[in-house]
Amino acid sequence: MESVVKIENLQVEYRSKEFGQRTKLAVNGLNLVVQQGEVFGFLGPNGAGKTTTMNVLLGFVNATSGVAYLFGTNVREPIARQRIGYLPELTYYYKFLTGKELLRFYTRVFNIPSAEAERRIDEVLKLVELNGAHQRQIKTYSKGMQQRIGLAQALINNPDLLILDEPTSGLDPVGRMKVREIIQRLKSEGKTVFFSSHELGEVETVCDRVAILCDGELKVAGRVNELVEKYQTNLEQVFLKIIGYPLPP
Amino acid sequence: MNVIWAIAIVVLKELYRRKDFYVLFVLTALITLTMGSVNFFNDHSIVRYLKEFCLLLIWISSLVIAIATAARQIPAERENRTIFPLLAKPVSRAQLILGKFSGCWLACGVCLLVFYFFFGVIAASREHQWPVANYFQALALHWFALGVLVAVTLLGSIVFAAPSSNGTIIFVIAVGILAIGRHLNKVALQLAEPGRSIVYAIYYLIPHLELFDVRDLIIHDLPLVPWHIWALALLYAAAYTAFFLGGAWLLFRRRPLTT
Amino acid sequence: MPCPYLCLAFLLTICATLATYVEPWYQNWAGSRSQQSSLLTTVMGDSRRLFANHFFVKADEYFHNGYYPTIFDQRDDARSLHIAEGAGAVEEKDEGETDFLGKPKDWIDRFGRHFYPSHHAHLGSGHDEDQPSPERELLPWLRLSATLDPQKIESYTVTAYWLRQMKRYDEAVQFLRDGLRANPSSYEILLELGRVYAEGRKDSTTARNIWELALRRWNEQEPQKPKPNKFMLLQICTELTRLELNEKHFDKAISYLELMKKTSPHPDEMQKRSEEIKQGKY
Repeated sequence: MESVVKIENLQVEYRSKEFGQRTKLAVNGLNLVVQQGEVFGFLGPNGAGKTTTMNVLLGFVNATSGVAYLFGTNVREPIARQRIGYLPELTYYYKFLTGKELLRFYTRVFNIPSAEAERRIDEVLKLVELNGAHQRQIKTYSKGMQQRIGLAQALINNPDLLILDEPTSGLDPVGRMKVREIIQRLKSEGKTVFFSSHELGEVETVCDRVAILCDGELKVAGRVNELVEKYQTNLEQVFLKIIGYPLPP
Repeated sequence: MNVIWAIAIVVLKELYRRKDFYVLFVLTALITLTMGSVNFFNDHSIVRYLKEFCLLLIWISSLVIAIATAARQIPAERENRTIFPLLAKPVSRAQLILGKFSGCWLACGVCLLVFYFFFGVIAASREHQWPVANYFQALALHWFALGVLVAVTLLGSIVFAAPSSNGTIIFVIAVGILAIGRHLNKVALQLAEPGRSIVYAIYYLIPHLELFDVRDLIIHDLPLVPWHIWALALLYAAAYTAFFLGGAWLLFRRRPLTT
Repeated sequence: MPCPYLCLAFLLTICATLATYVEPWYQNWAGSRSQQSSLLTTVMGDSRRLFANHFFVKADEYFHNGYYPTIFDQRDDARSLHIAEGAGAVEEKDEGETDFLGKPKDWIDRFGRHFYPSHHAHLGSGHDEDQPSPERELLPWLRLSATLDPQKIESYTVTAYWLRQMKRYDEAVQFLRDGLRANPSSYEILLELGRVYAEGRKDSTTARNIWELALRRWNEQEPQKPKPNKFMLLQICTELTRLELNEKHFDKAISYLELMKKTSPHPDEMQKRSEEIKQGKY
């Protein structure tokens, strides 16, 4: 099976702002593979290195050492991102554009022909239930609508890999359900979903495999059901045990 | 090219939805029309002073539009976090820089077309002539000068964190070059070493924006700049623009975009 | 609460009281200069004189079709402005070469000369007589200069000179009278006004009266100065001499020539003219 995401000995150092410390190791020797068709949960406490790893995959940050690939292409090449969609945690888009203009802009970025682009725009707007508001400028959208237009732009190119950073953060229960449905739908279409979340209940429901990071290092990676069976507890307890959180007896 | 063009269109849309241009155009038009309504000894064919005021306002407005628009492009993308969904697409940083430059430069071109058309109407209302070739030369030179400024402002926006400081510095430098760039060699001759060498170095290194300011030729109805000289000047501007854009790309390509 | 309003009213009263005390003191200090109480004067203060001078120089720049030295090109000796020399407002100086640019110093300088006026020319040289005079383009700057600094005599005299060249005599008279209101004792303005009457309105009687008044004003102001303005005296006397000769009042013409002989750099010429008139050769 083709590996969609492949990370080899990834190391990322930042210049530290703390006194007496020159650099901070955000990710230390990470090795990870995500196969096609998986729903992969990327977990860890705050500051574990999840966002840094995602930033490397998306080309926002350069690795200090090691290498990462998307669909076999080094992430430093822009073409590596041709088949991915990305939904950031905090969604902000060009306020002066309408929803439709924003999506049209991204279809041009992907070089999607105009007829196909219009079809895709209508499709994703319907999917995220924004077909009534697509002519309004984004500055008039509510937070939930902005999250949905974010999801729309992540799906506009019919991506084979969807990278979601805290996709349900700030959403109401209906919104969360919609996101889960979209993930399930993508999975059924054979797409790969790679997302980070703190909602472990949700992760346990939708993910096939998870990886848990702590202090920049990969602590464990494996199938959800296998981990649950191994530790004889739910995913939340597994998580706490892995990161070394002292559990009550 | 599609990516660059797509980014440029977004910049254009931002400009015409932001209202900066309309305010400046209305101000220019109001001041020009007010100056034009003044009666000087019952002679209604006097036109040069009006051309001078109008062109001065056009230059000031265009500098403000070019520098302000370019200064906020990349910082605003980072501050508003719109750069992340954009660079998560197959868009290279070079394409982003080129797209922003193209958008800002095209926006300046559109603004200049409107300004110069207004200027032409005002001048023709008194002169009853329309020296299209002269206006075309002036407009093209002006546009290319703005291209240099947009490029250097984009470079500055990667170096300086705040658009306001970047914009102020570039504006002061631009005005300085326009005012005294031509005379730095004379200033250098009057200085002792090492001041002379420093000023000479500045004189040869800076982009001589004053070459593109042909207001005096337009105001005083002087002949055209020879076309081959005009083309060389445009090439000169293009070279500096490419240099600054290259510098911007070199600085930007390795800069981490931390969330 | 009434208290803050009472305080405001009290402060307002103090301001008004101070104003009535300070105003007469200020009038004393400002002297008896005729001043325009325009908004411009109030807003700009003394910087208006700077701008007035700038606009006057601007007019000279326009006279040269934009070919004009900057502060970086100025030579050490003081320059006078061509429009002022041409109008007879100041003495002409032989300044030798007028090409301040000189040879290009480098390739940028050489290249750059295509983009700004780089050849000496005067506005109106070679223009068609049937077309409106191009010197009209100087007028706005001269007008602005006079508006900003009504005490700048040259603004009035130079403007009137060019209006005279354009045969706009009514406007010239009006403008000079405005100048006289601002500068009642100015013999320069009187000289120019006389010229307008003589040349434009062909009214030699009024012109004579005005020039004689100009001469009296000169005599009142200049002799006690360490360097009296002899140039203007010669100008006034020349006009009067010419007028009297045209009217065949030879005695008066000779008396003016005698006056000129005392101050002219060429007294022999004045003497020669006097002799010619006496011999009836005129």
